[in-house]
Amino acid sequence: MRLLIIEDEPGIAGFLKDGLEEEYFAVDIAYDGKTGLDLAMTNEYDLIIIDWMIPALSGIEVCRQVRKSGSVVPIMFLTAKDTLEDVVFGLDAGANDYIKKPFAFEELLARIRVQLRNVNQSDDTLSSGLVTINPVTHQVFCSSSEITLTPKEFALLEYLVRNKNKVCTRSRIIEHVWDIHFDSDTSVIDVYITFLRRKLENAGCGNLIQTIRGVGYIVRES
Amino acid sequence: MITKAKHTIMNVRILSKFWSSMSLRNRIAFYYTIVTSFLTAFVFLTIYFMVESIVYKQFDQEINTEVSEIFSNAHIRKNDFTDFSQFRNHIDDRKVLNSDDGHEDKEPAKVDTEFIQLVNISGKVINKSRNLSRNELKFNTTLPATSYFNDSINGSSIRQAQFPLLNKKGIIQGYIIVAVPLKNAMIVLNDLLTIFLFSYPVIIITLFILTRLIAGKSIRPIEKVIATAEKMTQVNLHQRISLPLNHDELYRLSATINALLDRMQDAFQREKQFTADASHELKTPLAVVKGTLEVLVRKPREQEHYETRIQFCLKELDRMSRLIDQLLMLARFESNRINPHINTVKLSDALENIMVRMRPIALEKAISFNVVGIRETNVAADPSMLEIILENILSNAIKYSPSGSTVTIHVESKERTIMCSISDQGIGIPEEKLHSVFERFYRVDESRSSSTGGFGLGLSIVKRLADLQKIKVSVNSIKDKGTTFGLTFPTS
Repeated sequence: MRLLIIEDEPGIAGFLKDGLEEEYFAVDIAYDGKTGLDLAMTNEYDLIIIDWMIPALSGIEVCRQVRKSGSVVPIMFLTAKDTLEDVVFGLDAGANDYIKKPFAFEELLARIRVQLRNVNQSDDTLSSGLVTINPVTHQVFCSSSEITLTPKEFALLEYLVRNKNKVCTRSRIIEHVWDIHFDSDTSVIDVYITFLRRKLENAGCGNLIQTIRGVGYIVRES
Repeated sequence: MITKAKHTIMNVRILSKFWSSMSLRNRIAFYYTIVTSFLTAFVFLTIYFMVESIVYKQFDQEINTEVSEIFSNAHIRKNDFTDFSQFRNHIDDRKVLNSDDGHEDKEPAKVDTEFIQLVNISGKVINKSRNLSRNELKFNTTLPATSYFNDSINGSSIRQAQFPLLNKKGIIQGYIIVAVPLKNAMIVLNDLLTIFLFSYPVIIITLFILTRLIAGKSIRPIEKVIATAEKMTQVNLHQRISLPLNHDELYRLSATINALLDRMQDAFQREKQFTADASHELKTPLAVVKGTLEVLVRKPREQEHYETRIQFCLKELDRMSRLIDQLLMLARFESNRINPHINTVKLSDALENIMVRMRPIALEKAISFNVVGIRETNVAADPSMLEIILENILSNAIKYSPSGSTVTIHVESKERTIMCSISDQGIGIPEEKLHSVFERFYRVDESRSSSTGGFGLGLSIVKRLADLQKIKVSVNSIKDKGTTFGLTFPTS
């Protein structure tokens, strides 16, 4: 899952990136509104976190512009503005959630998970066939036996399962699993897919990921 | 007795309660009506008594004419009375003759026009005109010798006069009493009185209703003021009272209230902005520290990682404590309890101290100081406060100067005052924002980025301290050329 954080306070942007990357998110950071809007318009993010008071373009304006472009990406405000009017104003500008500074990191994580949850999903657990993924504890099970994955392997599997029964193109996988600093060589995906398949096969869930030749990969609900 | 007193007190209370709860329009109408009712009553009474006196004068004259006629007919001079027999044939000659004489039938009215009666000194009726028949005119010894008064005979009003009859020695021998009926005059007077009595309450009630209407109309703008004011709350201060057309007292009242509302809205807005800014400035470092530490303890890490993160948090905490220091300083200075200890301060020494303190920061950006103008000069100021002022202005100048530029400090003597100006070659302040720079937490950069360091409190502290010491602070700026802060010290 790839996130964009638009935040001018380096301290906050810093620990958010640290903490979220440890949670297997790919994180991009913009330090002002203009850069943030450019990134949001040119890349596909699964969630955008915006501070209200940022230079160049206010968070509200960034949010409005993103919504105006027709994007439905979940947007969360992260701001020190804490009056009732501010919260209402922020949510009305098109945001999905509003977190007041200072906040607990665990709460932020939980709220991010809520935004990433599918409409028909009752809890955060994802599953396809025999495989179940718990994004909170970062555990993957095949039937009842646990599979140990590296963060990138986990993020890749999570993305494929979240988009099950849909073809995930290489470029989309790169966009959602790796951050902006990754160069465009997509062959790294094949390497990770190979690792994943081997680990799944060992646990007895070998045929989960299928290759669509020349396009990408798909996880099909059997 | 006591219960009665209690009753009275209660009545008074109810009355005063009623009085105090009376609406302004009713009160105006009430006052106006009371005054007018007195005035109208006075006018009516005056008219009535004037008419009455004119009427009586007329009758009195008639009586006088009659008397002198009788006297002349009887060949008597007023002060030459000897005997009542003198009148014998003259008292009734006309009247009686008239009534008996068929030729005079054309003037029957004359029959009962005058009543004449003669009384002796003891009041006994000697003679009277026949038209009196069995009645007698009242004789009043207590009245002065010649007097006119009203009476009634057979139920109809008469105007009556009694004249003394004097002998040669001037001693009263008797009286001749003459009376005329008042019938027509009385009708006129009674009618007049009736008209007055009936029209009086009608006039008063009409007046009260009209005054109430007019008063209500003229104070209607007040109702509007009340309605607007009632709608106003702390969060909804943008409504204004619409000004009346006429430039009268109500116009001034409305304008004054509107001006008051402007000031209140301004104050609320500033207060709101202050709270929002303070909350931003305090919460951001708090969020940074909290978040960094939270992420840090989620997993075991290497020693170096811990150290860099904790150092980072400490820096944030330093920033926070600097902000709290400044906030407290401002709060102390704004509470007005601080009295500056004004002394003679050597301005050059104070400047030198600050420059020494600032040099390390200036050297980092390769900024040099250039001091021009008079060297040795004394100013009246509180030394520690002056130091805070200069430090704030100078650190701002360094903060907003590009690397390698010069900060110029210029001291000059102007019209018996000392002017010290500090100029930088920095980014400048847009003209429309210049007036706000002394406001608490005001920052030209609206995103309040912490990368430029400040909180926006320095200049409000400068302003406050300068005000306390009667130092004038001015600011001039040209965009991209630089900003100049001027301090004008009072003459010591």
